[in-house]
Amino acid sequence: MGETKKVFENSTHRTSTNSMYEPYMLTESGCRSIWQAGHRTGYCVNLTINYYRGLPLSCVDEISLWVDGEPVDPETMYVWCKDREYHYPDILKDTMATDIYWGFGDYLKVTIMKKGGIDQGIHHVKLRLCTRRSYTPTMVSEWEKDIMFA
Amino acid sequence: MKTDHDIKLGVSLYSYQDNYYFHRFDTEGCIAAAADAGAEGFEIFSDAMIPEWPYVTDRWIDTFNGWKYRYNIESVCLDHFSDRAMWHDRQLTDDELYERGVLYIKTAARLGCKAIRVLHDNHMGARVSNKFPPYRLTDAKMCGRLLPAAAEHNILLALECHAPGSVADPCQQEYLEIADKMGLGEFIGLQADFSSYEYRLSMADIQGQVRNEGCTEEVLLALREAQTKAYKEERALDLEEVMPELEKIGLSEADRKFLSFHGRRSGPYDAKDTSHSYETLKQFASSIKYVHGKFYYIDEDGEVDNMDYHKILGALKEGGYKGYICSEFEGNRRMNDAGWCNEIEYVRKHHILMRKCLGYPEPVFD
Repeated sequence: MGETKKVFENSTHRTSTNSMYEPYMLTESGCRSIWQAGHRTGYCVNLTINYYRGLPLSCVDEISLWVDGEPVDPETMYVWCKDREYHYPDILKDTMATDIYWGFGDYLKVTIMKKGGIDQGIHHVKLRLCTRRSYTPTMVSEWEKDIMFA
Repeated sequence: MKTDHDIKLGVSLYSYQDNYYFHRFDTEGCIAAAADAGAEGFEIFSDAMIPEWPYVTDRWIDTFNGWKYRYNIESVCLDHFSDRAMWHDRQLTDDELYERGVLYIKTAARLGCKAIRVLHDNHMGARVSNKFPPYRLTDAKMCGRLLPAAAEHNILLALECHAPGSVADPCQQEYLEIADKMGLGEFIGLQADFSSYEYRLSMADIQGQVRNEGCTEEVLLALREAQTKAYKEERALDLEEVMPELEKIGLSEADRKFLSFHGRRSGPYDAKDTSHSYETLKQFASSIKYVHGKFYYIDEDGEVDNMDYHKILGALKEGGYKGYICSEFEGNRRMNDAGWCNEIEYVRKHHILMRKCLGYPEPVFD
């Protein structure tokens, strides 16, 4: 992921008007372990978009997560959008379809595959969400908070 | 609510974005809120409030038309976007961007809209578009390509002229000239945005800058006071004349950064640059096709706190503007970090103000 080149040199630009939904993009809804056949195989969080409208999933530039200070391996991440699941690295590729929209205000479920899931209780989660828009530099939004996982 | 006014009042549903984002109101709820504010029409973002976008079914359109009938309100405009940076390492080609433009035109027609707000290269005038050279949006040539599709579907391409630019920016003329040469001039036109006529800082901006960017409240309030005084004297404020006073209060780095961008706007009474004057707006009024009634905050007197709506609407009326002014509330993004921002109440007050400015009666719902 780190090898892909940036389309715009100033992609880390950030202004106050860029951050309109920054405090709200990391939701506390539906955060829990994922189970399969009685075993915890991963966990998930639900994100909402950091922009004033929905965007094609192909316009997501980066989703990075840290849980209790530990970075989440992007290869273990899957996103659920419009009733379909995508391996996170695939949405960053130039072959990603452009007609799958992350709707405005809709949850984007991010599942992290991890044997043993996450222990029930409060965990500290940090998110960096970057999205490309029409007419301004890539919006880089960061937020962190304590979240209760079921 | 139908009227026979030349200037009709509507709401861009963008104004209710927090209500939608946080699931307090769905698309129907936002349309109902607009109707209840007294709006005759509304503008919609397909990218935000049409969940099926980009493949909108006839079934959804039928439901949408049902809402328009139920709430006695018409669809006026659909917002077009130029998402060229579609992938990490590749951008849309001109042909691909054209295809998306046609999709917006066709969808607008199916929704019963009369126009699309085009996200064109010069939507913030020449000055700002030059500042971001990598961002190639829909330029004049692309508008020329889109015009036959616009004509086929009877859709107007509305060129939004946003601050720091205005409808008087010469860079807008290229778009109109191309259309005239094609004989399709009636399908493209200028769209004013009231952000061009701000004469001082809004309290929504001041509070947001203080909370989020570390600006000094006293500094920004002093600037606003100087801007107010200059406006009352019908002249532009030269930032240099107020800088000693601001320096005396003490400027932080955040203050200097803010002033370097926002402190240089001169307002409607700049004798050197009359492109933002009420007289210029009046001269352009009869050729303007659509208007965004931008606002951020309404004060205790019911006035937009950084624009002179009486003068702006007066210029449009005297100049013979015929068409919609749709409320475009943008205070939400400036204030929602401090708690719930009551968009519905702001839009309601905005319509009361616009009706007052235009001498319209208050609506009566039976």
